[in-house]
Order: sequence, then C-alpha cells, then structure tokens
Amino acid sequence: MSPFHFDSLIWHWPIAIYLFLAGISAGAICFAVLLKHFKLGKHAYKSSFVQAACLIAPLAVFAGLGILVVDLTKPFDFWKILVFYNPTSVMSVGVAVLMVYQVALFSWLACLFKEPILKWCDNRWPIVEKALNILMKFEATITGLLVILALSLGAYTGFLLSALTTFPMLNNPVLPMLFLISGISSGAAGTLLGGVLMKGNPDGKEVHFIHNIEIPLILLELALLFTFFLGLILSGGQSQVAALNAIGEGFWGWVFWAGIIVVGLAMPLAFNLFMTTSAKRKFSYVAITASCSLFGVLLLRNFILYTGQMTVA
Amino acid sequence: MKKERRLFLKGACVAAVGVAGASGLSIANSSTSKDDGTPNCKYALIHDENKCIGCDACSVACRETNNVPEGVSRLDIEREGPFGEYPNQFYRFTRKSCQQCEGKPCVNVCPTGAAYHDPKTGIVSVDEWKCVGCLYCIAACPYQIRFINPVTKAADKCDFCKETRLKEGRQPACVEACPTKALTFGDLKDPHSQVVEVLKTTPNYRSKTELGTRPKVFRIASQEGEIKL
Repeated sequence: MSPFHFDSLIWHWPIAIYLFLAGISAGAICFAVLLKHFKLGKHAYKSSFVQAACLIAPLAVFAGLGILVVDLTKPFDFWKILVFYNPTSVMSVGVAVLMVYQVALFSWLACLFKEPILKWCDNRWPIVEKALNILMKFEATITGLLVILALSLGAYTGFLLSALTTFPMLNNPVLPMLFLISGISSGAAGTLLGGVLMKGNPDGKEVHFIHNIEIPLILLELALLFTFFLGLILSGGQSQVAALNAIGEGFWGWVFWAGIIVVGLAMPLAFNLFMTTSAKRKFSYVAITASCSLFGVLLLRNFILYTGQMTVA
Repeated sequence: MKKERRLFLKGACVAAVGVAGASGLSIANSSTSKDDGTPNCKYALIHDENKCIGCDACSVACRETNNVPEGVSRLDIEREGPFGEYPNQFYRFTRKSCQQCEGKPCVNVCPTGAAYHDPKTGIVSVDEWKCVGCLYCIAACPYQIRFINPVTKAADKCDFCKETRLKEGRQPACVEACPTKALTFGDLKDPHSQVVEVLKTTPNYRSKTELGTRPKVFRIASQEGEIKL
C-alpha cells in the first residue's frame, strides 16, 4: 500500500489544503479580533500583525474555496451547491456557514479599516461613508457573529470528515475539536509570520500576546491528539486497526511522530517555554516558531485525511 | 466598553438561537415528512451465495442494459478461494453492488440532494443533473460501491435497473440473466412476494448492519469455504 495511492482513497491532498486554509482563515480572524479588543483598540488597523491577519483570512478562504471548486468532477456546476441545500449534509451546512462567514468577515474588515477607507475615498462617494456609519452601529454584533462563525468554520472542517461512518478513524467525536484547535493555532502562526514579514516589530506587544495564548493551545492540541488516538485504540476492532496503522511504522508514522509531534508541536512549545514573556524577540525566532507550527498543522491535515481513509469499517 | 460587551453577547445569543432553531426545524421536518400516498413499495434483492457460480452473466447484463462505461461497474461478483483439495475445490462468491440502504449514508451527506431516496420504490437513486461531483457520497458509502461515471461526471451506482428494466415492467437485468436463479427480486411490503417468502424461510445475512445502514440486499451465506473470525 503506497502512502498516496490506495483503493479506499477518495479525497486527495487538495481537500487537505482546503481544510488547512479554512482553519487558518478562521484562526487568523479570531486573533485579529482578540488583538483589537484586548491590546490595540481603535488603532488596531495600523498594526502589521492585524493587517497580516486581515489579509490571510479572506485570501485563505478564497483560495480554499477555489481549490474545492476545481476539485469537483463538474467544476462549472458548483453553483448548484449554493442553490440546493440538504440540511442533513454537513457539507451543505458548511457551505452556508462559509457564505455567511464571508459576509461577516468583510463587514468587520470594513469597520476595522473605516478610517483608511474614508481617507482613500476622499469624500468622493458619500454613500461609502453612510454605509460605513450604519455598519459601525452594529460593530459589536458583527464582531460576535464573526467570532461564532469563525469557530463554526474551524470545527466544520472536522465535522465534514467525522460524518463519514465508513472510516472509523475519521468517524470520531474528537476530530472537530482537534481541527478547531489546530486551525486556531495555525491562524496564530500565520498572523505572526505575516506580521513580521510585513515589517512588524518582532518584540511588539502583539507577539507577546499571541505567544501567551500559543502555549495553552499547543498543550490542548497535544491532549486532543492523545485522546483521539487512545480513544480509537480503546474502541478496538477496526478503529484500533486504523489508529495503529496510522501512527505505527511506515511513511505516515514518520509524518506523525517526526513532523507533527516533534516539529509541529514540541519545537514551538519548547521555543515558547524557553523564551519567557519578558525576553526580547527577534525576527528569526518569531518566523521559525511560526513556520514550524504552520508546517505541523499542514502535515496534520494531510495525515488525518490520508490515514483516515486507509482503514474501512 | 461595557455596553459594547453587552451588545457582543446579545449578538452571540441571537446567532446561537438562530442556528439551534434552524437545525432543530430541519430535523423535525425531515422526521415528519411523509410521502404523498403514492403506491408504496420497497424493493429488495436476495443473493443466494450457494446457487451463485460466479459466471458474471449478471455483471455483463448490467453493463449492457444500463450503458455502464468500461473501467467502472455497478455490479461485481467477488470471488474467494479456491478452498479445499482438488477435485473437491470450491469458491465463495459475494455480490458487490449498491445495498439500497434504508439508513442511506450517501443521501444524508449529499450537499445538493442529488443522491436521493425514491419514496415510490425505496430505491436509492442519483439525479445526474444535480450532482456536482464532490465525492462526499462516495466517501460516505460503507460498501464502497459508488463511482464517478466517466461519461456524465456524476456519481453512479446500481439502481435496481429503475430507469431501464423496471420502467418496462421487467425484473432487473442481473436477475433475468442469472442462469442458476441465485437472485430473487421483489417488494418487501407485499407479504406474498417471493422475496418475503425466501427471507422468512431461509437464514440470511446482510453486510455491515452494525453501521446502521439497514441494507436491502440480503445474502444467503455460502455453506462452502472457511469460517473466519
């Protein structure tokens, strides 16, 4: 059985990329909201880190949807998913969440960048100012909705796979939580990496704030991974076969232990623990830690998708 | 700041209630929806693995009748064996085709409703036009019998010849083609049908029922071959 080609394989790597992009979008916008509300306030839009998160969130979700459409066997019929809905289908509900999420996302971005938008418009279109003022009235509600929708989107990527009873490893109640938490941590990493690449101060209060949240996130992710696999092994039968097949010997076993556990989780955790909150951050430190996290989450998506489809119930 | 937080929470509550209400409603709708009094029947098929000789007449007939392109198939006979010593050798044959589940995992996951349960016949069907090819139904099928038709690019599978033979008032192509009468087809709701009679008098089994699929392809276990644990 080759790691990328086997009989029961139905969804290939483009789906893993999509799951990754949806997660990073949800995570990045959560951090933009957190940074604005707890650290930066009104002038949040001036921070490179908030700007990076606000670029990543829409671009990632567009790229993900693009991949999804191209991956259909009938790409030109994609609009049928938007027209016909099936409430029992996780994918259908997810598409609805994705659509509303994008509306909330752009409304919130408009509120956040109100000043630069108005400056750019330079009183040319009075309707823009009017629309922005109306949006600003509902800013708190939009923010609340956006956070809920982002969390739903992050969890949805897990529910999409966990709805498949065919594959005992995917049909697992921990999977949506695991995807949500790893998605949020990839959003944090994306925000940090984007921020320092956009000339943000690697020792700024944004970095310290995000790094503080990263430690509990990584610990939670480790606990969820442990629960995920121990749960499968204790269930016995095909679930046990699937779990041992995934994290045992072979290509995907290496991906899990070396790629996900060591590079993706243990190294960022060690960096964060050794570099206390008071220490001075450098560009290379922030960039490397964030890259390790992103790499780990991308591997995790591929690992779960491929090994999940290897064992049939 | 305090007012803002209150508004945030208000927005959150409205959203949560909205989502819960909408999903509750849809579940209620799906559980109470009833067919419109049309003649209700529930087609089922029995494969007698003792009578089956693995001649593939059924799969050939299926391909011709339903215009199934090369490279994919709606129906396969899988063989295991040979068991035993020559001259007393035997094979075991199992049918691989749509199980026409009542639990219908493929229908539940289909985002557009292209995979649907036909209330008149109880047959799980595909609306080629509505299908966008997301492969979700193919991943959801525990029997792994769905495939993408290379010509239509839509999901495809056995529909008990609903669009071909049943329309002509005949039995499915595989049932008609079987030289040993290993296949029995009929309506489960008709107490006098041959299927009901066979099911009531012969021990039978179904595949993967533990997944809640409630398949309507019944099998009469081969008495030859090994017993595996």
